[in-house]
Amino acid sequence: MKTSSSTYQDTSIWRFFSSVRLAVFLLITLAITSIVGTVIPQGEPLQFYLETFGPNFFRIIKILHLNDTYHSWWYLILLGLFSINLVICTLRRLPFTLKLCRRDNLSVDSGRLLKMPFKKDWEIKKELDNDFTQSIISAFKKVAGKFHERAEVDGGRLFLAERGKWSYWGVYGLHGSILIIFFGALVGLFLGFKGSVMLPEGETIDHIVNRQTGEHVSLGFSVRCNRFNISFYDNGAPKEYRSDLTVLNDDKEVFHKSIVVNDPMEYRGVTFYQASYRAISEVTVEVAKSDASQRSLTISAFQRASWPEEQLSFRLVQYQPDVHGSPAAQIWVGDHEGREGKFWLLKGNKKEFKKGENLYRISLTNAKERYLTGLQVKKDPGVWIVWLGCTVLIVGFAVVFWVPHRRMWLWIGRREGKTTVILSGQTNKNKLQFEKDIRKIEEALNSSLGVRQ
Amino acid sequence: MTFSSSYLFSLTTFIYLGAAALYLTHWIFRVQKIGLLATVVTVGGLVIQTVGLGLRWIESYQLGYGHAPLSNLYESLVFFSWITVLVYLIMEWQVKRRVIGAFATPFASLAMAYASFSPDIRDEIQPLIPALQSNWLIAHVLTCFLGYASFAVACGLGIMYLFKNRFSGASDGIIGVMPDCKVLDELIHQTIIFGFLWLSLGIITGAVWANDAWGTYWSWDPKETWSLITWFVYATALHARFVRGWAGRRIAFLAIVGFVAVMFTYFGVNFLLSGLHSYGSQ
Repeated sequence: MKTSSSTYQDTSIWRFFSSVRLAVFLLITLAITSIVGTVIPQGEPLQFYLETFGPNFFRIIKILHLNDTYHSWWYLILLGLFSINLVICTLRRLPFTLKLCRRDNLSVDSGRLLKMPFKKDWEIKKELDNDFTQSIISAFKKVAGKFHERAEVDGGRLFLAERGKWSYWGVYGLHGSILIIFFGALVGLFLGFKGSVMLPEGETIDHIVNRQTGEHVSLGFSVRCNRFNISFYDNGAPKEYRSDLTVLNDDKEVFHKSIVVNDPMEYRGVTFYQASYRAISEVTVEVAKSDASQRSLTISAFQRASWPEEQLSFRLVQYQPDVHGSPAAQIWVGDHEGREGKFWLLKGNKKEFKKGENLYRISLTNAKERYLTGLQVKKDPGVWIVWLGCTVLIVGFAVVFWVPHRRMWLWIGRREGKTTVILSGQTNKNKLQFEKDIRKIEEALNSSLGVRQ
Repeated sequence: MTFSSSYLFSLTTFIYLGAAALYLTHWIFRVQKIGLLATVVTVGGLVIQTVGLGLRWIESYQLGYGHAPLSNLYESLVFFSWITVLVYLIMEWQVKRRVIGAFATPFASLAMAYASFSPDIRDEIQPLIPALQSNWLIAHVLTCFLGYASFAVACGLGIMYLFKNRFSGASDGIIGVMPDCKVLDELIHQTIIFGFLWLSLGIITGAVWANDAWGTYWSWDPKETWSLITWFVYATALHARFVRGWAGRRIAFLAIVGFVAVMFTYFGVNFLLSGLHSYGSQ
């Protein structure tokens, strides 16, 4: 149609984006290019790629963002093209589907019925009285189900049993579901956050660090880890990681849950997952000054403990749980002037050290392992949209491939001077089952029409 | 000791190897009775293997672990062969062509042989690590493996198609007894549709599970990515039918390429790439 070439349906770019060929091309391209990110390690620091792959290949990796393939510009372009292709294919298909759905399947004549893929006709010698007609119709209805009727079609009565006309919409659900999933992913990307935190037992957090942006995200409430517990099977494999969490709102305990892997805690749209753990050593020392003032201090690994009045700080350098049957710790001591020293303490023994004129006596009173629970924290308001998309995908798929549009016609009237009954049918899927069903009607009609086989 | 799941699985291995040999004999020498025997043997193997799977489940409870036998490579291979035989037998029952067995049962036999004879595969029952302790385990493995099994059968059909197409002149002999190219083409298409639905469900249940366990439904882990690559290949096969010129040989070819992708998703990722799914490699 040359006259309509100015309308959007016929421009070559429209045709390009609406073609199944492009869809096939994109699917193959996505399949092949997706391999890249599974072969090249993802998300490593750039230095790693330079060292592993050499300067030439490193340049390619940098330009094509192969260190983060699935978020690279070219991969996103492919996914964008895929989405455009889906949308335009859908729009282009729409008029045909609407026409199919609006088509009046009762406007056929007996000649067309005899050209259908499945057909059978009978000549009737008997008088077509009311009872006889009814018996034919009920034989048809028994298998075909609910039907529509139109009188005066080609000099007879036409009956149509139609099933699954709506199934033409399945493909829209199937293709639309991909867009729904993409949309859900974008919602999660822009309105949600993801981060992780190492939370020591007994401590509380009210914010986390967003992994992508590095920004602090305030939770609007606080979470305390009361306890972390790890248990093992007899063979030494880990059996359970469990964190006992309490949610606090304005210092009031409002929610409590014990989480394990596969069973996270959700509070106000934010979910906390058991992800990892770490054990740190913690020792308690008693420091006594010669003038009898003394202090008990708890020193954790990676943290500094101090006795501010005496301007002393302590660190735990090393911890040995079992030295000749007792725990031992190497302690670092420093003061505000930069003087420092290190010594080993065995539980039960005392050590002395000097700062200026003062003599201090220090002893190890307690030592234990303290756990930090590793929590994955996320908020993803788009996840339900993704699940909706997945559901639509499966339902749409089942409709597209397994819900047929079936039509069965029965015509009773006079044709070429003879009383005739025509049975015909058409289906777009599962011809085997359809044939079986229509044969059943044929047999029923055979017996009610008194035809012997 | 004799009536343990390991014993039944060893027995199954030999039965399936025998069944595959019988199907091949039936195809090459065209003896109807051998075909019937092949079916009987295969059904017998399936029954024994089913009992074995149930027994292994019970044994895991006796050890105090209590989990479905789907937790490591050994158990997954046994399950793969079980479900492949099941899918094939349903097809044989529907299509009534035993020749297909010669191309389908070898996959199940090889999986069992690999599970039983490879020195790298540990066959003892192990406890479930925390990441696997979820109700999604059964749903995820079942759906994925229904997909894998269908694709194995589709691959067998694809190989048949290429054979038949190559020697299309032969109306008798070992090519003649194969179903027509048109029938094979339709069978490949239907099997791919069936497998694609299960693969999609497998990916979705995996995403739901990952979201429960790690807080991300998709993290581009190599196993996830390869399952998506597989999905793309079969999506191509389904769409290609609507493009002129993409029928028959090309679809048969895609059924084989798709199964290579399945195999890589199943084994290659475990052995060659690292990722979150590492429990599948022991």
